[in-house]
Amino acid sequence: MTDIAAAPARSVGFFFALAPRGKAVFFALAATAVCLLFAFPVFWLILTSLRTGTGVYYVHRGTEFTTDNFHEVLSQEIVLRALFNSFMISTLATVLSLGVTATSGYMLSRFKGPIPNAWFSLIYIFRCVPYVAWVLPLYFVTQKLHIFDSYWGLLLPHIAVHICFFSWIMKGFFDGIDPSMEYAAMIDGCSRWGAFWRVAMPAAVPGLTALAILCWLYTWNEFLFALILTAHETPILTVVMAQFVHELGMEWHLMSATAVIALVPALIVTLFGQRYVIRGLRI
Amino acid sequence: MADIVLSNVHKVYGHVVAVTDINLAIKDREFVVLVGPSGCGKSTTLRMIAGLEEISAGTIAIGGRVVNHLQPKDRDIAMVFQNYALYRHMSVRDNLAFGLRNRRVPADEIAAAVSRAARILSIEPLLDRRPHQLSGGQQQRVALGRCIVRNPKVFLFDEPLSNLDAQLRAQMRLELKELRLRVPTTSIFVTHDQTEAMTLGDRIVVMKDGVVQQVGTPLELYRKPANRFVASFIGSPSMNFITLRVSADGEHFALACHGWQFRLPARRFPHLGSHVGRSISVGVRPQHVRLGAPVNDDQIALNGAVTVTEQLGDEQLLAVRLGDGEIRIAGADPDLSLPTGTQIEAAIATDHLHFFDELEQI
Ligand SMILES: Nc1ncnc2c1ncn2[C@@H]1O[C@H](COP(=O)(O)OP(=O)(O)OP(=O)(O)O)[C@@H](O)[C@H]1O
Ligand SMILES: [Mg+2]
Repeated sequence: MTDIAAAPARSVGFFFALAPRGKAVFFALAATAVCLLFAFPVFWLILTSLRTGTGVYYVHRGTEFTTDNFHEVLSQEIVLRALFNSFMISTLATVLSLGVTATSGYMLSRFKGPIPNAWFSLIYIFRCVPYVAWVLPLYFVTQKLHIFDSYWGLLLPHIAVHICFFSWIMKGFFDGIDPSMEYAAMIDGCSRWGAFWRVAMPAAVPGLTALAILCWLYTWNEFLFALILTAHETPILTVVMAQFVHELGMEWHLMSATAVIALVPALIVTLFGQRYVIRGLRI
Repeated sequence: MADIVLSNVHKVYGHVVAVTDINLAIKDREFVVLVGPSGCGKSTTLRMIAGLEEISAGTIAIGGRVVNHLQPKDRDIAMVFQNYALYRHMSVRDNLAFGLRNRRVPADEIAAAVSRAARILSIEPLLDRRPHQLSGGQQQRVALGRCIVRNPKVFLFDEPLSNLDAQLRAQMRLELKELRLRVPTTSIFVTHDQTEAMTLGDRIVVMKDGVVQQVGTPLELYRKPANRFVASFIGSPSMNFITLRVSADGEHFALACHGWQFRLPARRFPHLGSHVGRSISVGVRPQHVRLGAPVNDDQIALNGAVTVTEQLGDEQLLAVRLGDGEIRIAGADPDLSLPTGTQIEAAIATDHLHFFDELEQI
């Protein structure tokens, strides 16, 4: 083979130097490896959720599968309440924090001066504090405010964290939107606020959608705050799941069943949203 | 229907002085072009008139009303931006209607205004598209349409043609001129392109470093530039400048540099008297240098060797060595063969000489 065209490719890198067939094989292998790496735990989880309590530890103990675990879990009132609470907390936290992050990101992107600078420094400082370090102080604060173990007791800390983390991403989205569109709107009869609301916000919708999805998933999966800041009044799914490990042993089969149930909404949101997430994070 | 008056307008960003003491009176329906190199404060001036930028000092009045503290939306202006700034989540139709809807104009009037604007700009087939489905020239037209639907007192243009390719730019320039006839409105047009300025403007304002250098009609600027900067900025190829030493010689003044000298009658150039014994910058446009020997006393001669030629098809541009410098000559016969080193003789009518005190470009 006198492959003249391939010669310069060698300098480009290993991947491009491979022949087309080799490239395809390499790509397929790499993709399969990555998929297996991520899919295997999920596969194992589903498998465990379908086994009886005694069948969990040994694969070779029969090929007996059952859906009893799901029936048992879903008949526990605390699991149902936790599902509902987790859903409500995630949704409310997303809606409320996006309301703030959108405006705060916009301010950081468009305005200069003492107020934006102070705000910027504030969220910067809070961002620097390790996440874990927030939990204990928040426990005492929520106790003092008598919102411990309530929706607000969990929502407010979540929203605060979201504002610190997501204002930056929102600022990035607005940085990518040409401000002259808003100037045109101001000349076309909008106030400054109107230009933000009617022109900048619609243009940021892909970004906002992406952020909403990330925000929802983040809250849905969050464990630490939920563990410390809630008790019996407001069970949260991630915490309830962990409670299948207790003094009397570990009910892996029930825990897995709950985990699979928890996976479903997250999966739906991810599948529905991946288009937006990819597009949104690209602008 | 409005005149615009800028009095002693200044703009300062922190420590950066963007615009210094602009005084300008723009008549009703006049088309004024602000021109100057990048960073000279053209956009800043325009944005102050639009109300997008605060005015540091001075006043701006539109139609006799001081607008310093009015919101952009209350100034009754329209603006076209360099990148068009179309609302990207709206159809072309909604883009055009947006301003009217904000002003609560009845729906049937909006529809009528939109279709009128669309007809004027021939964008009727595009009304239901989104901005990203349009070409640059089409977006440009929509941006113009967004201005004319509202029938404002003033149009402001910030380099609206600079994102178009050369051919489309020339075409849009013509369309803008036609549009002016149909929709005569006081307009301010910002550009850094002297051709656009010359072709579009009733009057041109040349700016540099935030300072107005000269205001005048295109011909005034071309024929009587106020300083070396204006002289070099207006006209293409740009004016030649030669530094010459002036001395008195009886009835004449002799001007000389290394490799070139000529005499001018003192009677016709009395202002040179104050420069005797000093150097002066003499400007001459490439178009005003003719190949061939002088044919009368009003012309001065010039000899030199060709260094470079540029063939344009209908003419040739020459660069000719003159003393220590070079002089550019336009309008040479395209069929002439002038290899590098050819000695040529050229003539300049003394009427076409410009004299500047500044030896360096200000
Ligand atoms: N927001 C700002 N903050 C600080 N300085 C600014 C700001 N905007 C403009 N300037 C400065 O003001 C001066 C004039 O800027 P302006 O945008 O008016 O120039 P311009 O003539 O429109 O140039 P161009 O042809 O590049 O658009 C420049 O020196 C610029 O650096
Ligand atoms: Mg500009």
